[in-house]
Amino acid sequence: MGNKNRFSNHNRRKQKKDTNIVLTSINLTCAFLIVFPIIWLLSSSFKPSSELFAYPLSLFPEEFTIDHYIKVIENGFFRYIYNSFFLAVVGTLITVAISSMCGYALAIYRHNVKYTNIIFGVFLLGTLIPGETLTISQFTVISELGLYNNIWGVIFPVVTTTTGIFLYRQFYLTVPTSFVEAARIDGAGEFYIFSKIMLPLSKSVTITLCLFSFMWRWNDYILPLLVLSDQKNYTIQIAIKNFIGANGVDWNSILAGSVISIIPITILFLILQKYITGINISSGDKG
Amino acid sequence: MSKNSRNHRVFWLFIAPSGVLFTIFFLIPLFLNLILSFTNYDGWKQMDFIGIENYVRVLQDKEFYSAFFRSIIYTIVNLPFKVAIPLLLAVLLTSPKVRFKTLARTLIYIPVLLSALVMGITINWMFSQEYGLVNFIIQQLGGSPLEWGSNVVLATIVISVASTLMTTGFFMIIYIGSINNLSSDIYEAAEIDGANSVQKFISVTFPLLAPTTFLVTLLSTIDLLKEYALVQGVTQGGPGTGTTYTIQYIFDKGFNQGEYGYATAISAIVMIVFAIIAYVQFKTNQGGEKY
Repeated sequence: MGNKNRFSNHNRRKQKKDTNIVLTSINLTCAFLIVFPIIWLLSSSFKPSSELFAYPLSLFPEEFTIDHYIKVIENGFFRYIYNSFFLAVVGTLITVAISSMCGYALAIYRHNVKYTNIIFGVFLLGTLIPGETLTISQFTVISELGLYNNIWGVIFPVVTTTTGIFLYRQFYLTVPTSFVEAARIDGAGEFYIFSKIMLPLSKSVTITLCLFSFMWRWNDYILPLLVLSDQKNYTIQIAIKNFIGANGVDWNSILAGSVISIIPITILFLILQKYITGINISSGDKG
Repeated sequence: MSKNSRNHRVFWLFIAPSGVLFTIFFLIPLFLNLILSFTNYDGWKQMDFIGIENYVRVLQDKEFYSAFFRSIIYTIVNLPFKVAIPLLLAVLLTSPKVRFKTLARTLIYIPVLLSALVMGITINWMFSQEYGLVNFIIQQLGGSPLEWGSNVVLATIVISVASTLMTTGFFMIIYIGSINNLSSDIYEAAEIDGANSVQKFISVTFPLLAPTTFLVTLLSTIDLLKEYALVQGVTQGGPGTGTTYTIQYIFDKGFNQGEYGYATAISAIVMIVFAIIAYVQFKTNQGGEKY
């Protein structure tokens, strides 16, 4: 936790003295209830069909099976996992690169270039109008550019995130411009100053944005469903969606597929969580 | 070359990658949406200028009004839960009397990581009509199983549970950040005056958190009004059109029925509604600078 202010010190000082068992129990019960649907999903995915569709239900599988996972993987799930990783990793790299440059320029050149605020305002339009309302005309543009059924057709449209530009801009506004002036006097080039001096300073923003961007791209669903028509280009989300058929849901496969889709993002979160749950990022929850 | 013109050139080079992509995939579609809304474009060949016919049609479209009002009712009913649950959890998780806070915070955040589709499926599985856990518990308690899939109200409840679960962790973290930034002096003063925990929450914490509550309320409003992906994992808009909300109506008209021109006119109208809401948010928070 990064909140080293008086209030939390005050909390910590008192914590030892009086722990309230009732409140602690309420706390743990709430947390358990909130995460329970995922535990139930996980447990169900290891149950054979005979246990999935029969009463009584039990929390843990009586007969443990990984058949559903084998079936899902045999149906080409590795291909979809690869596609999702490609989308998430490449998308995130591009997002971090272009957002940091843009946010940096909007903050550092604010005294040299008069219209920085106007340009920032144009980017803020991206938060005023939700992407969902633009999808139809966006799709038309993607088709016209020949990116239909192409993985780049679901990467390029979404990599410019106002949230990313915003986070970097806010960070670099706190860096004194004299810092940059000093480097210029030493003869450093503008791009050198950015990439070798300023970018490493914003490590916390970069990590936060990486996690969020990876999560957004990994979970992207509406645009890929429209743009990627060929099965070999499917991402994991589309593959999961396809288990919902006109005649009902293939529960055996969808449970296993859903669990597989949760694993990478959960691991990444557990590694980086102190950056997410420790600092206050509230500038937006959208891609 | 003068120093200032060199600065301008470097500035534009830094902005260019974001600027170009933003122009191609946001500004042009925005402009295109406006143009298409005055045509009868069918996504294929036909594209004639038909004036404001689409807009006249939207304003007389009973199905659009039902979808839009369903969205509004869904939003109003769910807002209290979306805002109150994270607030109460955050108060609990900043209390000096509670232990295992890090564990609880991690567990509560995990549902935020799921895609809307997978969250919808997860909740749908628990609430499935036959062999679902919730109906099983109801039967164990002596009740009769509920028709979660075929009753509009029950189906809406299932979507609502999934929706609240998806955002609780995120908003809780925002609240925790704000609570930790409150000064302890005012609490000490309240304690000296003999205020108990509930009184402290009602007369100190809650009023001081008003700006955060406002932010969370607006973010939730926008989330709820544009709910789409989650519904696809739970009901796909059914039973009938019982859970078809505004965005799905646009998609159905455009992609499923090929009425692109008409769908873009609906989009344009819905966009204005969203823009007004977001503008209020932007003005009130000075572009989020307070957070």
